[in-house]
Amino acid sequence: MAYFILRRALQSVLTVLGVITVTFFLVRLAGDPATLLLPVEATNEDIARLRTALGLDQPLIVQYLKFLANAATGDFGVSLRQRTPALDLVLERVPATLELALTSFVLGLLLAFGIGLLMRLSTSARLRTAIMWVALARQAIPVFSFGLILILIFSVWLRWLPSLGRGTIQHLILPALTLATYELALYLRLFNASLAVEQRQDYVRTAYSKGQGRTKVILAHMLPNALLPLLTIAGINLGLLLGGTVVTETVFSWPGVGRLIVQSVSQRDYPVIIAGVFIISLIFVVVNLLVDVLYGFLDPRVRLS
Amino acid sequence: MRALRPSLAFALLLLLGIAVLVAIVPLLPGYDPYTQNLGASLLAPGDRSLDGRLYLLGTDTLGRDMLSRLSLAGRVSLFIGFFAVSVSLVVGVGLGLIAGFFRGWVESVIMGIADLQLSIPRVLLLIAVAAILGTGVFKLALLLGITSWVAYGRVARAMALSLREREFVLSAITQGATPFWNIRKHLLPNVLPQMLIVGSYELGQIIVLESALSYLGLGVQPPLPSWGLMVSEGQTYLELDPWLSVLPSIALFMLVAGVQITSQSFTAENDMSAEVVKAP
Repeated sequence: MAYFILRRALQSVLTVLGVITVTFFLVRLAGDPATLLLPVEATNEDIARLRTALGLDQPLIVQYLKFLANAATGDFGVSLRQRTPALDLVLERVPATLELALTSFVLGLLLAFGIGLLMRLSTSARLRTAIMWVALARQAIPVFSFGLILILIFSVWLRWLPSLGRGTIQHLILPALTLATYELALYLRLFNASLAVEQRQDYVRTAYSKGQGRTKVILAHMLPNALLPLLTIAGINLGLLLGGTVVTETVFSWPGVGRLIVQSVSQRDYPVIIAGVFIISLIFVVVNLLVDVLYGFLDPRVRLS
Repeated sequence: MRALRPSLAFALLLLLGIAVLVAIVPLLPGYDPYTQNLGASLLAPGDRSLDGRLYLLGTDTLGRDMLSRLSLAGRVSLFIGFFAVSVSLVVGVGLGLIAGFFRGWVESVIMGIADLQLSIPRVLLLIAVAAILGTGVFKLALLLGITSWVAYGRVARAMALSLREREFVLSAITQGATPFWNIRKHLLPNVLPQMLIVGSYELGQIIVLESALSYLGLGVQPPLPSWGLMVSEGQTYLELDPWLSVLPSIALFMLVAGVQITSQSFTAENDMSAEVVKAP
């Protein structure tokens, strides 16, 4: 087990390193940060002086190694617009992003679990079909469209909930609902499929033959076994969720890392973009690592492969 | 589970609607997506402007005909979608087959890149790259294509792993066939049908990604319309004229739902692998 965790952790470190390497070279491809920093009327001498000051006159590989060394100490440079350390700007926004992502993750699982169970326990085929249709229709609506429709209904027409910003629980409801329902159709089908698999197992037949009722068999026997695949896929799809936060944050003006990145892109604030991409990848990699390790504990076959 | 699947007929109906929108609408005389008519801005669907022109789906803030704009945006999205899918199919199948056939360090490198790419949320990767390389329809399509090869690569590699042990490949090798001849003549035809299924699923994903990037202002640039961009432009006027955002959302839904249901009808009943392996 220790070896398994170590190997996965090493992989994760390599991944993060790869991500910032790619981002660094992409940014350098984009052009000279010095010309972007200075006003248009700057002379060539001004540009040259700034290039020396920023270390841009050194070979690319030297710049890269310096960048890595700085990044290792948490120094991603200074925001070109706000003149504060880029990493600080990003870290300020992390709690908001985590709040949204985790709420959506939990809400999504709860919805899948509750509705999936309702579908299984209910005897009405029509209800099950209706639920599945709604979930599939939801999946075909992009995150920003769905968010906007929620704003239209609950903020503009009904005036129940605020349409933008962060602060109260009310602010969290619409963005979390937008993200949580995105994968609902997949989760429901998966949950249904794994319940269907469990239904054919011997232990279920035994339980029925002991005279236990349908509800009892489903809740006490089949459910624990059917939950594992759901958790796994939810963990794997967490990347999709984190990607979704970028868009959702913009729709609802949610002050998270994603919105910061999008704003920094339009301002060409490269240090902030790099720091933001780094932090989101880091969160993503750490979460994936946790899911894998957790799964290794739950299912020994995983860590042996 | 049969009853849980929406019918193919419904999906084809949605796609027919999109086909009419992108192919027939441009033939209507007298309307185009760029002509501004400031005397007729923010008209609701079915309204007539002061000079008596009928706007079937209304107008936007600059008085441009929404129907024509939706139609042009659809052509842009479809072009980007098909172009990107072709690029990623070629790249993914190529790399996947090479990885699966040669094995060894070649495979490690290619699959390592795939894993690396999967470990960054795709939207984030695209934002970072779009921020740096700039935007434009062609660039965007190329970018979406290059970043979407992993789904094909993984499936192609897995299939190549088993195909390379089959007799017809082994006998070709013993008769002196080069690796690339084998890949072209024996592996490619065998994986292609499966790849087209992956491609049909990916088409919907790509169009959603394109619209999301355009919504964020990092995709298709004005004055060219894109459904995502139109939703974003309309968000400011949500209270005044919700149609601006709702109409492109409906168009997006029709296309994405149509593509998704159609592609799902290709895959086996309970086989969800296509969805489970999708790149984040």
